[in-house]
Amino acid sequence: MADAKQLAGERPMLAFTAKLAWQKNVSPYFFIVPALLVYVAFFVFPLVKLVELSLYKWDGILPRKFNGLRHYQRLLVDDRFWEALSHNFSWMIAAIIIPVILGLMLAILLSRSSMFGSIFFRTIFFMPQVFSSVTVALIWQWIYNPSYGAINVGLRAIGLDYLAQGWLGDSDLVLPALFIAWSWVHYGFTMIIFIAAIDAVDEALFDAAKVDGANLMAQFRHILLPSIRGALTTIILVTAISSFQVFDMVYVLTRGGPGDASMVVPVYMLESAFTLRKVGYGATVAIAMGVVIVGFSVLFLVLRGVYKDTD
Amino acid sequence: MMKTANRSRRKTSLVQSMAYTAVAGLLSLIVIFPLFWVIATSLKDRADIIRNPLGLPVVYQWSNYVDAWREGNFGVYFVNSILVVIPTAAGVVCLSLLAAYAFAMFRFRGKNILFTFFLIGMTVPLGILVIPIFYQMVSLKLVNNLWALILPQTAVGLPFAILLLRGFISELPKEILDAGRIDGCSNWGILRHIVMPLSRPALLSVMIFNIVWVWNQFLLPVVLIQKASARTLPQGLSVFMGRYGADFGLLMAGATISFIPVVIVYIIFQRQFIKGIAAGALSGV
Repeated sequence: MADAKQLAGERPMLAFTAKLAWQKNVSPYFFIVPALLVYVAFFVFPLVKLVELSLYKWDGILPRKFNGLRHYQRLLVDDRFWEALSHNFSWMIAAIIIPVILGLMLAILLSRSSMFGSIFFRTIFFMPQVFSSVTVALIWQWIYNPSYGAINVGLRAIGLDYLAQGWLGDSDLVLPALFIAWSWVHYGFTMIIFIAAIDAVDEALFDAAKVDGANLMAQFRHILLPSIRGALTTIILVTAISSFQVFDMVYVLTRGGPGDASMVVPVYMLESAFTLRKVGYGATVAIAMGVVIVGFSVLFLVLRGVYKDTD
Repeated sequence: MMKTANRSRRKTSLVQSMAYTAVAGLLSLIVIFPLFWVIATSLKDRADIIRNPLGLPVVYQWSNYVDAWREGNFGVYFVNSILVVIPTAAGVVCLSLLAAYAFAMFRFRGKNILFTFFLIGMTVPLGILVIPIFYQMVSLKLVNNLWALILPQTAVGLPFAILLLRGFISELPKEILDAGRIDGCSNWGILRHIVMPLSRPALLSVMIFNIVWVWNQFLLPVVLIQKASARTLPQGLSVFMGRYGADFGLLMAGATISFIPVVIVYIIFQRQFIKGIAAGALSGV
């Protein structure tokens, strides 16, 4: 890389070029400082503040009291927190299986089959991805409505009345029901990344396989799957990270209910900090969740080789 | 990115192609049916919904839309969402372009440390910061102010934008940049006249990803905005949902109002949308 300072230094420093030389020498820091200021003030500062808050007992109004690591000790024995965390993990595991497989199947259908209108279908399948999660929640609340929702009305119409129920009011069904609503959006993302990866596979590989008499299954196992392994890793990690943070759908539709049947960590965090006014404890819950996510994110950055072109 | 689906013309029968199309058609009902049904419901009155929940409306109740728009204050929410999205996306694009340019083009002390410092932001989601952000905005007297949404989302949007743009800029052909330098362009001039126009596709991806992300952001406004007149669209919609919980015609009119503009914009700019969301979602935020 040509170094600007070096280049500028090689030129004669005549008076009339002084201004120009200064401009050439505009320090690289000058370009970074604006971003750095915003980043430090509204990301790094709150992050440090979060750790600080977790060490104090505070109701948000009265003077706070130093509490040491007691919030962390309490977190370890807080059954509600562990139950919420287990819901996040179940959600994440379901998310890296169901939308990923669905997205891969759709991508193969749209990208490798001889169907008509594949661009049109891409547009349709990806569409829920641009909806706000509150819109999606509202749509699914209506679908799950016990009296007039599409699912129960449909079940009754085909004589399966006994299956019709309050999907979001049942403590065993509420999490799967919320998960289906969430998946309605997220397979679109996995599908699009898979399509890009599949389109990039060299067609000659498939042609060679066909000449060798490989059937569709063999082509999938020996050519397609190995070629998109990078995309698969990326999709699984990104899905894990984003699904672990599930909030909107749960907050809008159930607030963690009935009981704590659909409680997830971010909802519990808000409830602790703002409803129960235990700000310090809410911050501790946030840190616990952050530790899990940071772990996955670092893994993601390492696997994607972010550092490979830093000099 | 979006190439035509079948790059090789395989010899498949028409019947087979039609069968694949039919499968896709059936699967697409999973998307189309709920939307169709939401719109159908939005045009019914109460009696019609109870008598005939799944069918088309008997009498079209366009008044649901008038009522939802008025009762739901959607006009105010749309304006607020736009007032948050524009400065945030513009802020992220401008600030990250400047920083990415420096990271891609210069060698300087502390470069790797600074870059890693920015990357930390990609690993920590905005969600876990809402508690300290709330108290920060309390002390800045910005609670119920749209800047309380703009500033943190700009900060959190920067790391990935910088990473993506730095990658893009460092792959620009060196000859063009050197030519600019020999022609006497300053660093600033090279950025302005060479790097910026050449980076347009990457800038567009960053912008669109941020627009979609900020437009749909829900957790931050739930915590920071309590005043009705400052609510953004998703938050306003959730309040509307709570208030008119049993009036499905009205609720579905509200849902339709919230997604129709997005769908129209998406259909017009779908290539950019798909590219931007795919690129951005890879950040994991």
